[in-house]
Formats: sequence, C-alpha cells, structure tokens
Amino acid sequence: MGAFSLITDAERRVPRVVVVGLASCFGCQIQITNAEPYLMQILGQIDLQYWQLVTSEDMPDEFDVAIIEGAVTTREAEQTVRAVRERAAHVMAIGACATTAGVTGMAAPGLGGRVGEVYEGAAPESSGELIEPRPVSAVIEVDSEVLCCPIDPMDFVAALQRVLFGSNRLPDTRTLCSDCKRNETECFYNDATLCLGLVTRAGCGARCVNLGRPCNGCAGLSPDANVEAARMACATYGVDVAAFDKALEMFNQVNPALAESGDE
Amino acid sequence: MRASINVDHIARIEGHGNVHVVIEDNEVKTVQMEVVEPARLFESMVRGRSFSEVSYISSRVCGICSASHTVTDLLAIERIFGVKVTDRVNALRELLVYGSYLQNHGTHLYVLAAPDFLGQKSVFPVAEIDPALFDSALALKQLGNELCTAVGGRSIHPITAVVGGFTHEIGPDEYLAFAERMEAMVPFALATVDVFNSFTVPDMRTDGDILAMYAPDKYAVCDSRVAKFIDADVAFDADEWTDHIEEYQVPHSGALFARVRATGRPYMTSALARINVSWPHLSKQAKVAAAKAGLRPPERNPFRNNVAQAVELVDALERCAILCRRLAADEFEGASTPAPFEVRAGRGVGYTEAPRGVVFHELELDDAGRVVHASIITPTSQNVANMEADMRQLAELLLTQGADEPTIRLRVEELVRAYDPCLSCSVH
Repeated sequence: MGAFSLITDAERRVPRVVVVGLASCFGCQIQITNAEPYLMQILGQIDLQYWQLVTSEDMPDEFDVAIIEGAVTTREAEQTVRAVRERAAHVMAIGACATTAGVTGMAAPGLGGRVGEVYEGAAPESSGELIEPRPVSAVIEVDSEVLCCPIDPMDFVAALQRVLFGSNRLPDTRTLCSDCKRNETECFYNDATLCLGLVTRAGCGARCVNLGRPCNGCAGLSPDANVEAARMACATYGVDVAAFDKALEMFNQVNPALAESGDE
Repeated sequence: MRASINVDHIARIEGHGNVHVVIEDNEVKTVQMEVVEPARLFESMVRGRSFSEVSYISSRVCGICSASHTVTDLLAIERIFGVKVTDRVNALRELLVYGSYLQNHGTHLYVLAAPDFLGQKSVFPVAEIDPALFDSALALKQLGNELCTAVGGRSIHPITAVVGGFTHEIGPDEYLAFAERMEAMVPFALATVDVFNSFTVPDMRTDGDILAMYAPDKYAVCDSRVAKFIDADVAFDADEWTDHIEEYQVPHSGALFARVRATGRPYMTSALARINVSWPHLSKQAKVAAAKAGLRPPERNPFRNNVAQAVELVDALERCAILCRRLAADEFEGASTPAPFEVRAGRGVGYTEAPRGVVFHELELDDAGRVVHASIITPTSQNVANMEADMRQLAELLLTQGADEPTIRLRVEELVRAYDPCLSCSVH
C-alpha cells in the first residue's frame, strides 16, 4: 500500500501516471476526458506518461500511479496488472469492470461453453487466453477505487486528488437506500418493483432512481449489505426473490459474498 | 524496400489493435489489422436475461456509442412486442443518438485524429499552441455529453430510455437552452469542416462497397429500417441483414470480419458512407459546408471520413436545435412516458446508424421475454476487412511514391484512425 508515499517522496517529483485499459467498453476512460472543464487542471497536477486512448507515447518502465479500467479476462491481462503492481506506488481501479468485474463478469459461469456460442470453435488467438472475468482486486492489491458503470467524471477527479494530496477519508459502505431516504424519493418496492438499492453501495446519489429507473447495482454489493434480509423484503413486498438474485448477477456475478450465500 | 512494420497497441483509438505490414522487394506481402481485444461474449451473457435488462447490458458494448446500442436494442424488443411508440419518443431517441454523434465526432476529430495533422502525440499540447481551438473543441464535446445527460440521464450508458418510452424528461426551458447552445456551436462546427478539409491526405479510393441507412426523404439515423449497399445496389430490410452480410472468423482478430454476401467484397460503413447515401438530405448549412469542402458523392477516400464527421457535426447541431425547439413547443404527438405493452415471444432486429456506422441487434425472446438468442454486429467489425484492404492499397501507393518506412508506418496509422475504429466494440 503506497497511499501516502507520493507526498513523502524525497524527490518530490510530479507523480508519473499511466492509464491502463483491460476488458471494458472504454467508457470510464472516456469519462475521464468528459471532465472537460477540469481536464487541463488535472493534467497540470500529474505527469501523464501513458494513455493509449489519448496519446501515442509508449508505456514507460517507471511510474508512480496506475489507473486501471476494465476487468481481468485473460492470462495476459493478469500478467499486465501484476507488472503494473510491481512498479506503481498506487493502483487505482476505476469503474464496475475493474472493481466488481461488472457486466463483463456475467460471462464467468460456463465460460468455455459461451465461447462456442459466439465463435466457431475456440476464440481467435488474438483474443488472448480467456479466463473467468474478475475484478483487478482479485489479482493484485488495489489502493483505491472509483465505483459505478460508468464512473462519474467528478468522482474520478476527487479520487485522484486524494491520491495526489492524501486523505483520511474512509470508503463509504452504506447502501443506496439511505440516499433515497435523504432524497425523499418514493420507494420502488411500494409498487412491487424490484430495485437493487437495498444492497448496493451508495455514492452515486441514487442517480437512476431519481430519473425513475430502479437501481441496477452498478456500484457493486455493499460490504454492509444484508442480502438475506433484502430477499425477505422482496418477498414481503411481492417482488420475486429469484428475479432479485438474477438481477444481482449483472454487476456482482463473481462476488464471493454472493457465492457463499449459496442460493444459486 | 524490405520492411516489417509493426505497431502494437495503436494509439488514439478505442480498444486494442496491432498493425502488421510486411514489405519485401518493394512489394506489400502481408497486411493485418490484429484486433487483440479480449472477447467479452455479450451475445452469450444476455441469454436467459429479461428483455428489461438487455438494453442496459448491451449498452456496455461501447462507452462512446452506448446510446446507439441502447436504442437499437429497444427497437428490436419493440418490434417483437409490437409496441408502437409516440412521435415524441422517436424524437427523443433521435436526440439521444445525435448526442452520441456530437460526443463521438468531437472526441474522434479533436482528441484522437487532430494530433496526427498537427504533428503532436496527443491533443494536450494544442492547449498551448491554440488555446481557442482547444477550448472550443472541449466545449463541443461537452455539449454532446450534456445533451446525452439531459435526455438519457447520463453521458454514457443511458438510464431513462426503456421499452416504450422514457422514464424522465427535462422541461421546455431546458430544451430551449440546448437549442440556443446548439445554434451557437454551429460556427465552430463549420470551422471544423474547414480545418479538417485543409489537412493534406493521401489520394486514394477504397475498393470496398459502402453501406448506410437509407430513407427516401431524410438523413436517417434511427428511424428507417432500410440499409443500402451502394455498389452491389441492394437495399434490404434490417430483418434480412444476415441474407446480405456475411460474418466470418479470422485467427488474427477477436472481432468477426464482414463482407457483402452477394459479392464477397469488404465494405465500409461510417459517416462517409452516410454522406454517400444521404447527401441530398443534409441540413442546409451542412450541405453548404460539404459542398465547399468538395465532399459530395461519390467520395471514396477513407481519409475523408474525418471531413464527413465534421460535416455531420454541423448537421447534428442544426437537427438537435430543431428537435429541441419542437420538443419545447410540444409539437410531437403523444407523451414520452413508456407505452404499455404485452410481453410475447418472437424475433426482431433493431437497426440504427451509430456514430461510426451501421449497427444491428438481433434478438429472439421466449414468451416470458427472456433472451433465447442474440446477435450484435457493430460498425467496426464490419469495417476491419475493408480497413485491411485499404491499408494494403495505401502501402502500395506510398511505395510507388518512394516513401520511407516511418512515413508508411505513420500514414497507415492515420488511415486506421480515420476509420475511427472502436475495437472494444467490435469484439464485444
């Protein structure tokens, strides 16, 4: 963990940053560029050394901060993140794919059979050696995370500030329901409509619920979530419990906490 | 010349791809666009999922044209359920798709492509070289993001667009404010056409066919079901796309390649393809800008896709302004709240023009509305075969002109970027 090593570095150099993309839609990297009004200010704080999406500079051998987007879905990607971990003082995982395996993780069960549903025979060699999708934290230690699918550009800016300047802020582990209480939005369960806010990490401000759409759980399962109680709540409010479990897979397919609850 | 040109992880494109060009005795031996994206297997992962989740999942195929994937999926589902949406819903969907055009073209032209022509490795030095240009480019991109956020609830992966309609809408004042901002941005888009038209590009013509959406009376992006191959002279309904497009697998690409089934030729789909098919229906200022830039059908130089995108920026801004004014004035029939529907089994194909070209989503649902089969074909997977053919043609052209290895390498990279490929999309 090198959370504060950057500011104690004797050289006090501007932190050298790389951005690495794994299996993803690239949306979280795009979201970084979508912090338009602040983009140049951010770049003024860092020494951006590598970002394949945006510049043609090659990946350097030395850097301080690595920002990783995407899930680990190949042996090659596994090696990449290990190599990154060896060099980086701070590793930040951004977006659902990197933090929970996200939608990408849905392909995990029966991976081998799935390949045959899309390709004739094996997947093309250039796809790499496929493994069950997993978040970056399943392979290496991750120092900080920016949640959601996609990330909010300002969440990224805030997280980067914490890396650059230090912070004693602890990760928020509340569930989304607490945000809806604060927002005084009506609960979908009153209408017997499935919503994953019961067990999903807060932090987005209940963006989807505010726009009339139930939470799909893109921030991932909260460590405080009581999944069993949520299932009971579903039953009480007339929501199909099996549908709740199924919906939870979308962003939590490979979460060991759900595997342990043993309902699948 | 004898050279082996290898560009690993070609920069300033979405996704991961390597370029290989082998030249022996002044002859181009091999040309490969190696798509090294890992397969995410979307078509498999949506199997068994409810129709209500599918558009939300398949939106994740692509971070930049997520609006297109969402709308395309909704169209497929509504075709199966027999849902007829209101004019207002169609207008909002068009606005959402155009929002993604502004995002995509703004990002591609200025962040990804422009550094090639300015001799830079990234757009960031432009902030110092030409701050006014840089700020305007970011403002354009931001306008696209804000439009997508206003209509879809988020700049990427829309929230509000669901089967039958939208779960939320902004108010008339906000639409009017957007209309004014769109109109105010037109002069910069016009300048963008001039800027990209002023860059010197190799003189070449693609040998591949050209595919784009066709409508008799408009520059259609999401409300026609007819796709048209120009050279093969075939127009077909989206439901029959597999009769006309053949996907095939090659070892060096995670993306399936595509060719015209009738002729076996590769083809291009893009802003340039749309200009070729729908030029007469460009908005007024866009058409003037295109004419001034000498961009009119038949235009087959793939490098001109950059200019075509710039023209589409003008077109999209003008159209969005009109759509926003009409939405504010409540001129479209019906409400935007989701229309009621009954779930039923069936097969349906959704079709839109994503910023980078034609996208089809084929879905088969069971009687509970769960996915039995899904097939997605994205613009880039359709373009890769043609891109390879064009890379070969370009390398051969440059060899006859006596170009050295670094020049060939750079031009081939620029060609790939002119296609604005999304490799993560193409593998999905």
